[in-house]
Amino acid sequence: MSPIENSSSSWTLESDLEDLDVDLQDSGPSVPLKKVPNGDIFEASRAGDVDRLRFLLQTGVNVNARDRWDSVALYYACLAGHIDAARMLLENGAICSEHTFDGDRCHYASLNLRIRKLLKAFEARPPPLAPLQASLRDTFLGCCHNRAYLKQASHANIDVSDPQSEMGCSSYFPPDVIFFVQGRPIEAHRVILSARSPFFKQKLENEWKDRREFSKEKLSYPALCSLIHFFYSDRLEISVGDMEDLVRICKVCKCESLQRIIEKELIHQKYAEYKTHRDLDNSMKRFILQGISLPEEDRLPASLHRILRVSLAQSLADTSGDARDSSIGVTRLSDSVDSLADVSVKVDKKIFYCHQVILASRSEYFRARLSRVNDFHEGKSGLPGDTLPSLEEHDLSAEAFEKMIEYMYTDGLKEISPNQAEEIFDVASRYLLFPLKRAVADALLPHLETATPAELCHWLVLSDMYGVLKIREYCLDLVACNFEAFVETREFRAMLLTLPPPSGDSSLRTTVPSAPGAMMTTDQGNLLDDLREKWLEAEALELDMRDESALVFDKRLGMLVEMAEHEKSESEAGDYKDTSA
Amino acid sequence: MSNQKKRNFQIEAFKHRVVVDPKYADKTWQILERAIHQIYNQDASGLSFEELYRNAYNMVLHKFGEKLYTGFITTMTAHLREKAKLIEAAQGGSFLEELNKKWTEHNKALEMIRDILMYMDRTYIESTKKTHVHPMGLNLWRDNVVHFTKIHTRLLNTLLDLVQKERTGEVIDRGLMRNVTKMFMDLGESVYQDDFEKPFLEASSEFYKVESQEFIESCDCGDYLKKAEKRLTEEIDRVANYLDAKSEEKITSVVEREMIANHMQRLVHMENSGLVNMLLNDKYEDLGRMYNLFRRVTNGLVTVRDVMTSHLREMGKQLVTDPEKSKDPVEFVQRLLDERDKYDKIISTAFGNDKTFQNALNSSFEYFINLNARSPEFISLFIDDKLRKGLKGIGEEDVEVILDKVMMLFRYLQEKDVFEKYYKQHLAKRLLSGKTVSDDAERSLIVKLKTECGYQFTSKLEGMFTDMKTSEDTMRGFYGSHPELSEGPTLIVQVLTTGSWPTQPAVPCNLPAEVSVLCEKFRSYYLGTHTGRRLSWQTNMGTADIKAVFGKGQKHELNVSTFQMCVLMLFNNSDRLSYKEIEQATEIPSSDLKRCLQSLACVKGKNVLKKEPMSKDIGEEDSFVVNDKFTCKFYKVKIGTVVAQKETEPEKQETRQRVEEDRKPQIEAAIVRIMKSRKVLDHNNIIAEVTKQLQPRFLANPTEIKKRIESLIERDFLERDNTDRKLYRYLA
Repeated sequence: MSPIENSSSSWTLESDLEDLDVDLQDSGPSVPLKKVPNGDIFEASRAGDVDRLRFLLQTGVNVNARDRWDSVALYYACLAGHIDAARMLLENGAICSEHTFDGDRCHYASLNLRIRKLLKAFEARPPPLAPLQASLRDTFLGCCHNRAYLKQASHANIDVSDPQSEMGCSSYFPPDVIFFVQGRPIEAHRVILSARSPFFKQKLENEWKDRREFSKEKLSYPALCSLIHFFYSDRLEISVGDMEDLVRICKVCKCESLQRIIEKELIHQKYAEYKTHRDLDNSMKRFILQGISLPEEDRLPASLHRILRVSLAQSLADTSGDARDSSIGVTRLSDSVDSLADVSVKVDKKIFYCHQVILASRSEYFRARLSRVNDFHEGKSGLPGDTLPSLEEHDLSAEAFEKMIEYMYTDGLKEISPNQAEEIFDVASRYLLFPLKRAVADALLPHLETATPAELCHWLVLSDMYGVLKIREYCLDLVACNFEAFVETREFRAMLLTLPPPSGDSSLRTTVPSAPGAMMTTDQGNLLDDLREKWLEAEALELDMRDESALVFDKRLGMLVEMAEHEKSESEAGDYKDTSA
Repeated sequence: MSNQKKRNFQIEAFKHRVVVDPKYADKTWQILERAIHQIYNQDASGLSFEELYRNAYNMVLHKFGEKLYTGFITTMTAHLREKAKLIEAAQGGSFLEELNKKWTEHNKALEMIRDILMYMDRTYIESTKKTHVHPMGLNLWRDNVVHFTKIHTRLLNTLLDLVQKERTGEVIDRGLMRNVTKMFMDLGESVYQDDFEKPFLEASSEFYKVESQEFIESCDCGDYLKKAEKRLTEEIDRVANYLDAKSEEKITSVVEREMIANHMQRLVHMENSGLVNMLLNDKYEDLGRMYNLFRRVTNGLVTVRDVMTSHLREMGKQLVTDPEKSKDPVEFVQRLLDERDKYDKIISTAFGNDKTFQNALNSSFEYFINLNARSPEFISLFIDDKLRKGLKGIGEEDVEVILDKVMMLFRYLQEKDVFEKYYKQHLAKRLLSGKTVSDDAERSLIVKLKTECGYQFTSKLEGMFTDMKTSEDTMRGFYGSHPELSEGPTLIVQVLTTGSWPTQPAVPCNLPAEVSVLCEKFRSYYLGTHTGRRLSWQTNMGTADIKAVFGKGQKHELNVSTFQMCVLMLFNNSDRLSYKEIEQATEIPSSDLKRCLQSLACVKGKNVLKKEPMSKDIGEEDSFVVNDKFTCKFYKVKIGTVVAQKETEPEKQETRQRVEEDRKPQIEAAIVRIMKSRKVLDHNNIIAEVTKQLQPRFLANPTEIKKRIESLIERDFLERDNTDRKLYRYLA
């Protein structure tokens, strides 16, 4: 952000403050909503420009960052009474706990009760889950019998209005194990159970191999349910009264680190009289444990990583063996026992053993694909029943696929080289793994600092295509600031030819920054329009000169395009000459 | 080296050369279009999901999203048009089935297409804010099939026909109906409402209009209600089976309006079977049904309640104003109690204990009980009757029940002070003549009155009981201090506090010497123990037991009143006495004396005196001798005085007057109380407040209040405001 922007924002802020005490009872915002197409996160929060805010958050700005006045974005949203903006910030992880500096400030500054309530609601809620945990949790709650758990949890006002749970029905993937505990069913997936608990792994690989239903009447339903929910989401939510049961179950399941933590917590609960909870009995008190409290090797990503390593090792072994007919992955079910893999994916002559539930939870594409197996050609290959279902993916490299499944299983990426980045962008878009794009973008950004203008042009085009906003913004900023340098490069001019022309309509061009209705399509607009906007900003021309400046820019572009065309025909001629020669 | 690397990198980066091919988009789209056709022809098994998805993905990636989107819409539209034609071609009954079949197919295909175009759904459509694939597919179905002119009305008519058939008792395919209405719901609430629900409601309304007209001409009220109830449950059942749950309220309101609300008045007033008839004949079931149905419509219960109230008032009025009925007060009150029981039962069994109905019942009773000015007296008499003898053989709890019921009636009375007057009289008679059956019952009634009207109301009644108790003690003390009196006549005195007891003018008479000596002794004893008191003898209220020996030596004990004793004692000294002589000797007022002689001489079987000449009435010139021939089977003979149980007309007037007289100070007290707190008040408000304050005791008469105000002004409690004559000021 440039210093000019900041000073202007401070000026308007003060003027807004004067208006603030006009009508505090009014539940609407004190400042009318307006658009700040180029504002930073603080400006967008203050203006209540939800579109801009969403865009900024997608590009990955830090929601809890402070500006020069040591204020966080949430503070501005609360102060101005923009409930939607505040909600968006909170949902993206803005911190608002009471007794912290920022949190208290937000509470005191809240314009009205609705905002205050919103803060309260989020305060009681743990921070949002990482994408892996969130999607697996949705899968767990997507199983229809497991909804009961949600209801039980909602007593304690936790996650009631979790927007993810609303969509629970769409994230359904059929379970392959079902427990009956105290007459109530809990549905689960084998691979998750065996990833998280050595006990389940051992049982499921041996005695329980072919069984689907298990009756565990002696266990406590809330405890087991909480534990399995923990397996999926790395978050334990349990009422204090059920914790002793949970310790017992943990012992059986050999979840040692969890067991230790809970035992310790039980002692705390016994002797510590919490002031606020004194009037509640133990079933009302709830204990919430984040995955972070566990040692790293016991968290969900690490567990799944182990599983992945096993199946990858197997995949590699198979391919290296290569003795078999590799027409379509005809794999004996027994081969996959160790890893519990239940699907094989053939990519570029290589076969990967994977787990349906994880693919389906992480990618809508795979969910659709796996559930549609019977409707399309893929299901009709007439394979014998004891083989693994197999999928074949074309048009991508095995390396990219491997990186992708690594991300799917662990939410992490290791050793991404810029050379692979493009392919992974492609994979991520294709399989609708949008968080992956952001992860790759983060890995890529440091490399871009040393990139040549030609490479930057290339990345600009790519990021526009794949919708990697963070990279796109970065490149646009660079191009706009060093416009003259880019104009000099041939690749930049060549790129201009491949892009759709900027909107010549002057009504679209007059973009006084804060005019309402300006820049309706913040994300994925015309690349050159965005470039012009950035350029105008970077050049910091006077506002009333903007129109003319924009025209100048357009003319400049036109000239560049002409030049590029000329160069192109020349080079073609040159090529022709080369070939003919 | 680095140069080399960069080169590679660049070449790889632009590997998506496909874009360069100008026909790329068309080619890819053709593949996808073919796939969509195949999916619609249920021939998707040859297609590769992976490939199709990849193609669609690439199209969007290379900015052909627009083309893909419009292409998908046009292709689907074309398909749906074809389907619409096929559906339309279906004959008769298979029409719906065909529609349903095609709808299921479309849904399946739509889901598959959505999955293929998922990337477009998630990115292109999201950023351009277009309609998503699935809702778009539903919209296309709606526009091209459901709203297709040749299908639209036919579909609606078919559905309505089916409903009509079911209403007339045919069996229809409910599953099919459910699927079709489900389709409407899936297409959106507005589609369901506009294309199905509204016409359905209109048709239902028409149907029930006709049917209800038919029913009401041919059935009586009870049957009609049964049919309406049946129809209502049928419709609710229908909604549960194949309509949207939100329709329930609407369709029931149609049935309610057509079958009940529109015929409400007629139903209620139907001759020989309407509400009044049901009430008269205790038809609890019909009444309950009527209550439940009428409750559903606005003003339904009000109508029922109004009719019930007016019927009650009419009936009650007849009951209380019928002169025949008022002859026997006990019977009169019993009738009232019976009526109340009856309606209580109706309200509790048929009307679900509805509070408003209970209120209506209470107000009706209040209305007609007060129509008869003698109700307070009758109620008091009823209680008197019950406490005198009626309660013999009845258990404690039954007594309580009866008393509770009577208290209900009592609550309706506006003139509670009149009741108090009568009750006091009756109680006094019971106490003095020792005829109360149960002390507990008496006391429990007092407690009830106390809770009902407050301490003031019963303090005097309680005083009466205390007097009775102290009198007993006094007598014991008297005889204790005069042991010599055990011989000779026994005197039992009941000392009554003035004020607590109904005042009666003390009628003096000359007591026989034996008695008056005794009386003097008691007087000196009593005044000796209680200084500063005055005793006056209420000879008209006493009784005496005297022993008499008749001509042939028959011995009898005669139970007579004090006056009668005085008369009889005279015959100890002379055989024949004339009326004048008796009057002179006893100084009993002539009316009382006549009554007393009448009961001694003229009542058959009890005539201890003989009158000459023998006639019914006592004349001034008559003379009396002892009837030596008097015989009686029993040793003890009770000789009553000729007194009417009910009040005579002048007595009634007197009681009335006394009540009015008593009210005056109460009204004045109320006025002063109010003015003391308000200081200044205008006339109308005073009247209102006074009336309100006195409500629990009686209904104050405005003219009387006005008179009291005048009197207070005269006595300088109040004054009129100088400027506004309607304002009063509180002085003092």
